[in-house]
Amino acid sequence: MLEKTVRTFTFIVTKDCQLACKYCYLVGKNDKERMSFNTAKAAIDYVLSDSYISSSHGIDFSFIGGEPFLEIELIDRICDYIKSELFWRNHHWFDNYVFSFSTNGINYNSKEVQNFIKKNYTHLSIGITIDGTKLKHDINRVWKDNPNKGSYDDVVKNIPLWLSQYPDEATKVTISSADLPYITESVLHLYSLGIHTVNINVVFEDVWKDGDDNLFENELIKLADAIIEGSYYMDYECSLFSDGIGKPLDPVNDNGNWCGSGHMLSVDAAGNFYPCTRFAAYSLREKKPVIIGNVRAGIDKNKLRPFLTLDRLTQSPQKCINCEVASGCAWCQGENYDAADTNTIYQRSTAICKMHKARVRANNYYWNKLFRKLELEGKREEFELNRPKNQNPIC
Amino acid sequence: MLKYLVILLDDSAVSYCHYESGKERKLISLEALKSAILFAMKENLNVHIVWPDYELPKDYKEIINGIDHINFADASFAHDADILVANPLDWDNIPEKSVVVVKTGIRDFIEKPEVFLPLLKRVARLNILFEDISVFKDEMVTGFSYALDFLTDAIIEQYKKQNKVQVNILTDRLILDQMNNCNAGDESVTLAPDGQFYVCPAFYFGGEKSVGNPNEGVHIKNSQLFRLDHAPICRNCDAYQCNRCVWLNKQQTLEVNTPGHEQCVICHLERNASKRMLDKIREIGEFLPGKEIPDIDYLDPFEKIEK
Amino acid sequence: MRKEIGSVTEQERDEIKKIFERRNGLNELAKILTYENTELYEKLVSDMGETSSLFQNWWDTMSTKYQWESHPDAHWEIDFNDCVIYLVTPE
Repeated sequence: MLEKTVRTFTFIVTKDCQLACKYCYLVGKNDKERMSFNTAKAAIDYVLSDSYISSSHGIDFSFIGGEPFLEIELIDRICDYIKSELFWRNHHWFDNYVFSFSTNGINYNSKEVQNFIKKNYTHLSIGITIDGTKLKHDINRVWKDNPNKGSYDDVVKNIPLWLSQYPDEATKVTISSADLPYITESVLHLYSLGIHTVNINVVFEDVWKDGDDNLFENELIKLADAIIEGSYYMDYECSLFSDGIGKPLDPVNDNGNWCGSGHMLSVDAAGNFYPCTRFAAYSLREKKPVIIGNVRAGIDKNKLRPFLTLDRLTQSPQKCINCEVASGCAWCQGENYDAADTNTIYQRSTAICKMHKARVRANNYYWNKLFRKLELEGKREEFELNRPKNQNPIC
Repeated sequence: MLKYLVILLDDSAVSYCHYESGKERKLISLEALKSAILFAMKENLNVHIVWPDYELPKDYKEIINGIDHINFADASFAHDADILVANPLDWDNIPEKSVVVVKTGIRDFIEKPEVFLPLLKRVARLNILFEDISVFKDEMVTGFSYALDFLTDAIIEQYKKQNKVQVNILTDRLILDQMNNCNAGDESVTLAPDGQFYVCPAFYFGGEKSVGNPNEGVHIKNSQLFRLDHAPICRNCDAYQCNRCVWLNKQQTLEVNTPGHEQCVICHLERNASKRMLDKIREIGEFLPGKEIPDIDYLDPFEKIEK
Repeated sequence: MRKEIGSVTEQERDEIKKIFERRNGLNELAKILTYENTELYEKLVSDMGETSSLFQNWWDTMSTKYQWESHPDAHWEIDFNDCVIYLVTPE
C-alpha cells in the first residue's frame, strides 16, 4: 500500500549558523527566525492528534537549522515535551522514536549539549559534518563572521568525544566542483579519525563544469585503489561505492521515488508546515515556498498528494527512463522544484547526470578490482558475510 | 495533440466551467480574433466560441462565421447557441432538446436535486457542474449519493417515456470505456481577450502565464503533465466521466496532474451511482449488453495506489 | 567474553525490541518527571513495573523454550540485527 504516513518530522529551530559554507543550499539564512517553544508545542500537539499524519510505525523527530545546537535549550524543552506527550497520550510512537541532528559539531562539547545527550542518550542520532582533511574542509566550511577562516580545527577537536558516545555514527560529506581533487585524501582522513561510515554526495545543483566528470572519475579510481590496497573495505564504508548502482531500472518494479519529501514534514519558526525543509523559503533560490499548512489550521492533505504519488517515471525525462546505468542516480525533490521550468515537483533535474555516470565507471572499477583481489586471496566468502552494510544517504 | 481552440470573446463572456468570468467588459480585438481563427484553420482545430451577453459588432460575427464552430452562450441571452449556460430555476428560456450547462453548489444539489426535474423533460443533454468542489466533506457522501439516486430515478422515468436524456454525471459513465476528461493543456487551449493563449479560461482569469499566441504558436512548458499518462492517480482510474479539471488540481494540490480528494470522491460517487443506474435500467429490460461497471471498495483512488 | 548460544525468530526479536525501546523511553522520561506531576508520575511508575515484568518474562520464556546456556556471573544479550543471542561473561 501507498506509504502515506510521516516518517520524519523536522523542526527548523533556527535559520542561523556560525558558518557560511560556500555550497550551502540555504540561501536565506538569518538570525531572526528562531522558533518559539509555543510554536513547537503547537506543531507537536497537531501532529500527535492527527491520526493520518501520525500513523507510521515509528518517527524521527529531526532538528535542523542553520545549526540546531545553537538552540539547545529550546530543543531540550521540545524533546521533554514530546516524551511526556507521547507517554501521556499512550501514543504508539513512544516505543519507537528518535531525536536526530545534523550538526556542524562546533558546540558538541558544550555543557548544554552534553547534558542533553546524557538525558536522551538512547534516543539520539547525531551526525557531525566534517568534510575531510583540513584543506578540503576549510575550502567550503568557513566562519560566517570571518570567511577567510575555516572551521576544521573547531570541529575536529570534538570528533573523539562524539565517536566515544556514538561509535557507529556516520559523517556526511558534500562535494562541489572545487572539492573534487581532495576526495581521496579526505575519505582516508575521516577513516583515520575513526569514522567508519562516510556518506558522500555531490551537490544536486547545476554547478558542474565541463571536465568535472573526468576529474571525479579519476579521483574515485584513486580512492578505490587506496581503499583496496589499504584493506579498508572490511571495516569501513564509503557510500560512493555500492555494488547496487549503475544498473538499468525496471519501469514497473523500480518506479519508486528516490526522495522522501512528503514523508519528511517540517515546521519553521512561523509555524508553517512544509513537505520537507528544502521547500521552505530559505532553501529556495527561484521559487516560492511550498507551504502545506500551519500549526493552527493543520496540514492540507491535498497538498501532500503530489508528493505521495510521485514515481520515478512520471518525473523523469526520457533519457533517464532509458538510462542503462540509472540505479543509484539520486535526486532532490526540492532542487527539482527549484530548477523546474514551471512550479512543479514533477520535472527531474539532470544536473548530476555526468557526475553519476563518472561515479558508475569508477564504481565498476572498484568492485571488479576488489572482487578479483578477494577471489585471489580466497576471502570473497568471508567478505560477503562480514561486509559493512551499505547505507546510501538519503537527503 | 491539440484538437480544440476555445475563444473567449470578452472578459465577461459566460462562464461554463470552474471559474468566474470578469466583471468588466473587455472585448477581444478584431485582429486577435482573426489571427486565432486563422491559427485554428491551419492547425485543424475545432473552435468553441464563448459569447458575452451583449451584441457584438457585425465584423466580429463575420470573422467567426468564417469557420465551423460551436457557440457557448448564456441561456438568457442567446437561445440559439449550441450550448447554453443556465442558472438553476431559470428554465423558461431553455429551448426543447437543447444542451445545457448548469452550475450549482454541492450543498444546493444535495438539498434540492428536484430543481433539475423540469429540465430533464425538455433538454437533450444536461451538464451539471459543481462550482464549489472544495467544500465537499466526507460526511456529505450519503446525501450526495441520495441526490444522485433521486436524479437517476427521474432519468429512468424519462427513459421509460422514450426520452433518452443525457446527464453528464450519471449517464456518461454508462457508455464510456476510457477516460473522457476535459484535457485542457493537452487537447485544447483558450484564446483570451488579451490575444494570448492560456491552458483554459480559468488559467486566464486566475492570473497564470500565457502559453503562446496565434503568431508564435502554443508553447506549454512541462506539457506532458497535462496528459493522462503523467497523472499517477488518474491514469488507472475508471471514473471515466470525470472532468479531471487541471485548474482544480492546481488549486487543490498545486500540481496540474494531481486531483484533490474532493474531486476524486465526488466523481467516484457519480461513478457508483452510474453503476446503480445500470442495474436499475436492466431490471426493466436489456440495456448496453456486455457493459459492466465493477464494484470497487474505495472512493478515492489515491488510497489504492501502490508504491 | 561474548559467546553465541542461540537465536530467536524475527517475530520474537520484534517483541523484545519493542519492550526494550519502551524501557529506554520510560527511563529517560523518569529523568524529567517529578512528584509534583502526580498523575503522570504514577502512570510512569506503574508502566515501569509492567514493562520490567514483560522484559523479564520474555527472557524467561525464551530461555526455557530454547534451553540457552547460562552462568551465574553472566547475562544474555540479543543482537537486534540478526536475532542472535549471546552469553556475556565479564572479562
